[in-house]
Amino acid sequence: MKFSTRNLVTLAVFGTLWGISEITLGTLLKTLDIPLSGLLLSIIGLTIALIGRIFVPMKGSTIFIGAIAMLLKLFSLGGVVLGPMLGIFGEAIIAEILLSLTGKPRLGSLILAGGLSTLWVLAQPFVTNPILYGRSVLIVWEKVINNGGKLLGLGTNVAFWIMGILALIHLASGAVVGILSWTLGGALQKRVGISAEG
Amino acid sequence: MSLSYRIESELKSGERIPLGTLGHLVVFSWSLAMVLYSTPENMLWIAGLCILVLLILYPGAWCSVINFRRFILLLLIAVPPVFFLGDVDSIFLGIPYSAIGSISSLHISLRFVVVLIAVEGLTSAVEISALAYILERFGLKGLGFSMGVAVNLLPSLQKSCTQSWLALRMRGGLRKNWWKGLMLFSLTTITCAIKRAEEIALAAESRAFSPDKTSPLPVKSSPIDWAVIILVCISILLII
Repeated sequence: MKFSTRNLVTLAVFGTLWGISEITLGTLLKTLDIPLSGLLLSIIGLTIALIGRIFVPMKGSTIFIGAIAMLLKLFSLGGVVLGPMLGIFGEAIIAEILLSLTGKPRLGSLILAGGLSTLWVLAQPFVTNPILYGRSVLIVWEKVINNGGKLLGLGTNVAFWIMGILALIHLASGAVVGILSWTLGGALQKRVGISAEG
Repeated sequence: MSLSYRIESELKSGERIPLGTLGHLVVFSWSLAMVLYSTPENMLWIAGLCILVLLILYPGAWCSVINFRRFILLLLIAVPPVFFLGDVDSIFLGIPYSAIGSISSLHISLRFVVVLIAVEGLTSAVEISALAYILERFGLKGLGFSMGVAVNLLPSLQKSCTQSWLALRMRGGLRKNWWKGLMLFSLTTITCAIKRAEEIALAAESRAFSPDKTSPLPVKSSPIDWAVIILVCISILLII
């Protein structure tokens, strides 16, 4: 991945925008303990990252944006920082892999990348909690099911249904991310007058 | 006023323990790691230790940390858990509050103060370019430059966001057609940011900057850095 000066600055802009949303909105939402706040932040962040990919359609650009946002999150005040930092980077890695495999960003590839990256928000506690905090996967599962059950108004006896519905919500939100980034990216290119090749 | 500030900051840097870039980074990471991994049982002494160490290393940092705006921000972050986190099971002066929430709130407040002093100390002692060169050394070609641009862009993007929001509010805000309003807000904010990026790219290119031609500069080091690294490792091992 060899970026020109212009590409690097453009990536810095999108990384900063993702970072700002995580620092300001992220801190507020996490403090107020709003359900699915991680998903909302992921929708905003990934939309920005995927628009960035449209502007710099090169391998490594999404991971670059994610790395900048992650480093900026370090300057976040209050709340837990390490989890969201890993979350940002995980989402960026998944989106990067999918976009690199599918070639030039198109609506379909953006929807796929958005969908699977937002699914990471649901999967992340099962990976990071045992490693970072030593919690067992079963305890994490119980917590996710309890919170999901409360949110969906379902009993914990239908655990797999809860998990399935949550996964569907995340995937659908990710698809919205793809559509949004495609629409906004196109509108932005028209406004700024920059071609897709950057 | 700026001259007196400069003299004051020069005096402060003269009083500082002469750490190298690596030492400052290690102290910053150490304070972040300590407050991140502190539990409600040991958070008071860990935060106290971090603040003490940071104030010894950066004597002037607390001056810029204490101000009204940051106090309001602290209240906004730390007060909600007292009432909304966990069960509201205790009463103080007739006001019901959550015991778990108040512990969490104290934790957040202490972390807030430690992070602020650490960031203030690091940014006053280490130049952004030095941080960028360290990142370049880890093989992330161009990330250092991008991070430098990102940190410099933060205030201007914040200003651009505020101005876009004010302009939108004067035209009715998000009351009617909120989705369209939100899209327009996003478009305006990102357009302004990209235009600013164009200016930065032009400035860098006119100075013949090229990511391919940059070579990492030597990182400023000091013999005290190694002593700091050893102390940091010992303290982390003791905590674990």
